[in-house]
Amino acid sequence: MEQTKKGYCFTAIVGQDDMKTALILNVINPNLGGVLIRGEKGTAKSTAVRALAELLPERTQVADCRFGCAPDDKAHMCGECLEKRANDKTLAQSLAKMKVVDLPVSATEDRVVGTLDMEHAIKTGEKKFETGILAGANRNILYVDEVNLLDDHVVDVLLDSAAMGVNTVEREGVSYTHPARFILVGTMNPEEGDLRPQLIDRFALSVTVIGERDIEKRVMVMENRLKYEDDPAQFFEEFEPMQQALRDRIKTAEGLLGKVTYSSKILEKIAKICITLDVDGHRADIVMLKTAMTLAAYHGRTEVTEADVMEAAKLTLPHRMRRNPFEDAVLDLSQIADI
Amino acid sequence: MIRTLFPFTAVLGQEKIKNALIWNLINPRIGGVLISGEKGTAKSTLVRGVAELGDTKIIELPLNVTEDRLVGAIDLKQALQNGRRELEAGILRDADGNVLYVDEVNLLSDHIVNALLEVAASGVNTVEREGISCSHPSRFILIGSMNQEEGKLRSQFLDRFGLYVEVEGEKDLSMRVEIMKRRVAFETNPLRFIKDCADETRDLTARINAAQTRLPAVEVTSNAHRFAAMLAHGVHSAGHRGELALIETAKAIAALDGRGMLNIDDIKQAAEYALPHRTQEPPQDDFCQEPPEEALPEEDVSPPEQEQNQAQDQAQDENPPPEAQPPPDTTPPEMDNADQADGADNEDEDDIQEAGEAFIIPRWTDAHVTRQINKGSGRRNLVRSGTNQGRYVNHRMAGSERVSDLAFDATVRAAAPFQSIRDKAGRALAIERDDLRVKIREKRTGGSILFVVDASASMGANKRMKEVKAAILSMLNVSYQKRDKVGLIAFRKDSAELLLGITRSVDLAQKKLSQLPTGGKTPLSQGLDLAYEVLMGLKIKDPDAVPTLVLISDGRASGKKAPGSNPFGEALKSAERIGNQGINTIILDTENDFIKFRLCEKLNEKLRGTLLTMEDMKADGIVEAITAIRRTT
Repeated sequence: MEQTKKGYCFTAIVGQDDMKTALILNVINPNLGGVLIRGEKGTAKSTAVRALAELLPERTQVADCRFGCAPDDKAHMCGECLEKRANDKTLAQSLAKMKVVDLPVSATEDRVVGTLDMEHAIKTGEKKFETGILAGANRNILYVDEVNLLDDHVVDVLLDSAAMGVNTVEREGVSYTHPARFILVGTMNPEEGDLRPQLIDRFALSVTVIGERDIEKRVMVMENRLKYEDDPAQFFEEFEPMQQALRDRIKTAEGLLGKVTYSSKILEKIAKICITLDVDGHRADIVMLKTAMTLAAYHGRTEVTEADVMEAAKLTLPHRMRRNPFEDAVLDLSQIADI
Repeated sequence: MIRTLFPFTAVLGQEKIKNALIWNLINPRIGGVLISGEKGTAKSTLVRGVAELGDTKIIELPLNVTEDRLVGAIDLKQALQNGRRELEAGILRDADGNVLYVDEVNLLSDHIVNALLEVAASGVNTVEREGISCSHPSRFILIGSMNQEEGKLRSQFLDRFGLYVEVEGEKDLSMRVEIMKRRVAFETNPLRFIKDCADETRDLTARINAAQTRLPAVEVTSNAHRFAAMLAHGVHSAGHRGELALIETAKAIAALDGRGMLNIDDIKQAAEYALPHRTQEPPQDDFCQEPPEEALPEEDVSPPEQEQNQAQDQAQDENPPPEAQPPPDTTPPEMDNADQADGADNEDEDDIQEAGEAFIIPRWTDAHVTRQINKGSGRRNLVRSGTNQGRYVNHRMAGSERVSDLAFDATVRAAAPFQSIRDKAGRALAIERDDLRVKIREKRTGGSILFVVDASASMGANKRMKEVKAAILSMLNVSYQKRDKVGLIAFRKDSAELLLGITRSVDLAQKKLSQLPTGGKTPLSQGLDLAYEVLMGLKIKDPDAVPTLVLISDGRASGKKAPGSNPFGEALKSAERIGNQGINTIILDTENDFIKFRLCEKLNEKLRGTLLTMEDMKADGIVEAITAIRRTT
């Protein structure tokens, strides 16, 4: 659950615009539903996710809450906070930054969902729930590197929490339920195997990254990297203005998000796109709308445009195209351009 | 914590799920419902929403539940403080009189399914563990939801659900638009949204309550019983649960409609929900339109085993039974294949044949894995794990073995009752050797399947490779669902080549396979030797892996390893080495010449595997082949 240390500068990453946009959209709107980043080795996938930590906003949370509950969000509060709230009427608050919480591929299930607190059980004979990674991930980013290599039984656990925002534990003598609303971010190299269709669908967005082909850009990648390795302090200082600009932009967008509106034409366009492409279920529609709204806010607008929808389609549909195994399903944007 | 749930009444469409859930609330004797359908169709939203409709609670059974929490275990506090053994009830007690909901029910571990089935059948939970012996009633409405992409439910479990509903997304534009609007409104302010729906929720709850009151008075005539029985017979429904669920459902429909008498439409409507998963033929839209002219004769009752097989076929998605499948395309190739036709004659030329059309085969690997692990229920994708990997489902006494995977909770529970009489020597808890419990883990690994394919020139003849590729593709289709790991070795010309190491990417295997050329000699023994190395390497890396070797060959070998030796003899030696390691082997004999040498039979004597012919793969013969193996275990 350890917080990722200060890594690279997000703004120093060259190119990979789709990936960067997808990540930032999730920061602006934590209810979006995460992103899956697919790509070959050495394309700054993990670097980007870890660098995101530096840009994350500060928020209020209930002081001493194990799940970092939001003090004003009764709908998603843990049992302990609800009880406190009922008894004392007020909740002590503190400020904390949103974090990137790592879920290592080797994590055991009890560490992920939580388990019986052994020490407490031995000392007092009473059962207490010891929280796992999902508790720490509440209201934060849950990052799974090599998500396609995750053990199946851990994936099963993620499926439910990711969809419902709740972690239900009924194991090893403990029975406990707590909020686990996290932004699921996964990176993977498709060469090493696929993701289960169920899990893929839980990611709101997906992007595929490829190494830069442009010589100029490749040179820039190297230069930035060398600068960082030579003198990290200097490197951070150099990029700080850009980092700050991005932080401000995120903050502005967060403020705008609640005011974003859309016309019924926009809704129809989204529905038509999904019907045309015959996407499973309704998650795609809903996610596409939320993405378009977040994009509008990111671009400093309060009205969703058709261009937002098209950009949202590019981010939300690629991983939802495939209906059968071995199908080479690619998103063909020209198919929906005229809608 | 409270759960902020999307209100039941705010879900648009999906009337079938709503009906099934409401009827079950009205009449719990219907026996629950299984909801199957594509992702994102409000399956679990609706089930969870039921909690707001009256007093029924939704008790969720998480996939990673351990058995102690399911059935109950010793009350730790009582045991420690008073030395008393008392039951701390589990989920099955909470579920009594409520809804027991399993999301992704097809992923539930077998161990838990078995425990669940037992209680679902008897309505009583009997606890015999950790020195506790007691029982309590546990009657619940079992509701499951699943997505068939990740595997099916076993027939025994399937039959346990009173009703079955299959769902898909709305295709109507205005509906989809409204669905989006509502969802976004809910997420923006959930509590307000729920409040706005309160009236509708209250109305529906009142209707359900009224129907519940009316239900006992609903009359069922013997004609209705007869009609229900006829419908059930008409679709060859196995057992009698179908018609019972049907009648109970019809009663709920009538009660909801405010009637005291069943009518024919109630029964017909109920049949659409109560029979599809018990139908032994693919469900048809009109199967309940007309009652059959005459009830089927008594002797139609199938023997149990056959019954199960048929029900299993039914459970296999909408895959028609094997015999209904078209055989792989063996028609003459189109023009683009014309230039490949002569490849067979020339040993040095490469020939890439496309795969024929894949056919659907039953779970072809079930049999051999069952044989290998020879325990548990034999579902191939559940392997009792010998290492500290996999899901902790239960525990056992440690005995005299070295304890490496301690089940701490169970150990403490075992020690707890004795604390008042043990000498603790200042420790908080005195634990003795006999208390130690270790975890039983279940791992849902797919198998590891290594395909060893003869890609020599002879395979190019008669478009044999096309058929072989179709066969492998069919197996890969199954592997994709089961999340097997697969690898591919081809032997041709002078050597064997590992085209794909054991990987989870079934996709990649399919790509490599489609590009596989044929041509050259047949270094069979080298292919087997390479397979041996790969599989032995795998065993070291993952001792739990249950590797399977699938050899696709006509048994002929050519080419020389050393001057003067005979290639087939070499191959036999290589085969024997694999056979001695007890590696699971399936040989797919591709020999289709008029005069048969039956070389694969000789190979199989050494490999000690299962020999299948191409005809077995295509026809339903494979079912028999697998059943035969199963009987020997």
